[in-house]
Amino acid sequence: MSPRTQESTAAEPLLRAVAGGDGAAFAQLYDLVAGRVYGLAVRILRDPAQAEEVAQEVLVEVWRTAARFDPARGSATAWIFTITHRRAVDRVRSEQASAARLRRVAAVSAAGADYDSVVEAATTRIEQQQVRRCLQGLTERQREALTLAYYGGYTYREVAELLGTGLPAVKARMRDGLIRLRDCLGVSRA
Amino acid sequence: MTDVHTLAGAYALDAVTDLERAAFRRHLAGCESCALEVAEFGETAARLADPTGTGLPPGLRAAVLARVAHTPQTRPGRPRMGRPRMGRSRTVAPVRWRRWTAVAAAAGVLVAGAGGAGYLVRQQQLQDARERAVAAEARVAQIDAVLTAPDAVVRQQPASGSGTVTVVGSQLRGAAVVVLAALPDPPADQAYQLWLGSGGELTSAGVLPAGQGSTIGLLPDLAGAELVGVSLEPATGSPTGQPTEGRTVATVPLT
Repeated sequence: MSPRTQESTAAEPLLRAVAGGDGAAFAQLYDLVAGRVYGLAVRILRDPAQAEEVAQEVLVEVWRTAARFDPARGSATAWIFTITHRRAVDRVRSEQASAARLRRVAAVSAAGADYDSVVEAATTRIEQQQVRRCLQGLTERQREALTLAYYGGYTYREVAELLGTGLPAVKARMRDGLIRLRDCLGVSRA
Repeated sequence: MTDVHTLAGAYALDAVTDLERAAFRRHLAGCESCALEVAEFGETAARLADPTGTGLPPGLRAAVLARVAHTPQTRPGRPRMGRPRMGRSRTVAPVRWRRWTAVAAAAGVLVAGAGGAGYLVRQQQLQDARERAVAAEARVAQIDAVLTAPDAVVRQQPASGSGTVTVVGSQLRGAAVVVLAALPDPPADQAYQLWLGSGGELTSAGVLPAGQGSTIGLLPDLAGAELVGVSLEPATGSPTGQPTEGRTVATVPLT
C-alpha cells in the first residue's frame, strides 16, 4: 500500500459511502476536497466565474459517478483531482487557441476577503508543504515543464514552443520530473 | 524505449491532445510495466492540486448540494477506460529492479568520487554545484511566483527577425518573467540584454546568457516600469548603458 495523505485516507470511505447514495457523506467529502477542486480550476482557468462552473460540474460528477471509483487504481483524492484537472484543461483549451491564451489577461482578483479560507488552509497545510518542498527538489527545467503543463494547462507541444525547446526534451523533463516528484512524495506500492 | 512510451509524463499531466491520449492508451493496453508507471504518475500529478486549496465562493456549497439532491447516480458497471490498476504483484518486480539499479549507480558514483587524490577537488566541485543549485532554486521560486500569480498578465510579441518575446508580469509580485523563444542564436560573444523603460528612461535589467536565442530572464523588481525592451548586445552588456542603436529586437509594454 502506498503511503497516502491523511486526507486521501479520509476521502476513500466517504467516496465509497457516496457511491451508495449517502448524501451526508457527500457533504463531508465536499468539505474535504472542494477547496482544491475550485482552487485548481481557478489556477488553470484564471477566471473565478468559470472556475466556479467547472468546480460545480466536477463535484456533481463525483456524486454521479462515485461508483466508478476503484481503489485498486489509485487514491480517492487522485481520482477527484484527475477529473478536475481534465475538465479545467478541456475548458481552457476549447475556449481559446493557445496564442490567444498566452495573451489573455488574467481575471483573477487578488482579493480573498469574501472567502472563508481558514478551515481549508489549516487542513491542507501539511500536504501543501510536502508538495512545495518536493517541487523545490526538481531541476529548474523539470519544474518549468511540470508547472506550465499542470497549472497552465498547456500541452507539451505548447510548452516546447513557449520555452523554445525541442519536443523530446520537454517530454523527458515531464517524465523525469514526475519520477523525481513521485519518489519524493513516496507515491508507490513497491 | 519506444517513442509513444516517452509520452507517459505528458499523458499523466494532461499535456497531450485527444489524439495523443488515445494513442497512448492503446500503447498502455499492451504494456504492463508502463501501466504501473503511469498509475503512479497519475497519483503524483494529482498531488500537485494540494497547494491550490483556496477559499470557496459563498454560494458553491449550497448550489452543489442542491444539484446533487436531484441528480441520479450511475450504477457501478464496467469501469471507464482510464488509469490502469496499481500494485499488481507481477508488476512490482521491475520497479524494484529499476530502483535498485538506480541506488547502486548512485552509490557507485560516490565510491568513485571518494577514492584517491580527486576527493578534495570533488568536494569543492560538489560545494560549488550545491551553491549554484541553491541560487537556481531561488530564481526558479521567483519565476514560479510570477507565473502562478493570480494577477499574472501575459503579453507576447514577435521579435524583429524571428522568434517571439513573451513577458509575464505580476503587479502583485512587482516582477516579470521574460521568455525569449526561438530568436536567432547570437554569436558566442553576444547576448540579448533586457531593459526596463519608465518615463522615457531606459535602464538595464540584465544580460541573458551569451549565444542563446531561447532563454528565460527574470525581472525581480519592475519598480513601476512601463515597458520591457530586448536588444542584442556584446555578452558583457551594452558599453553605453543604453540599447545600441538599431539593435532593439522587441519592446513589450507592461501597462
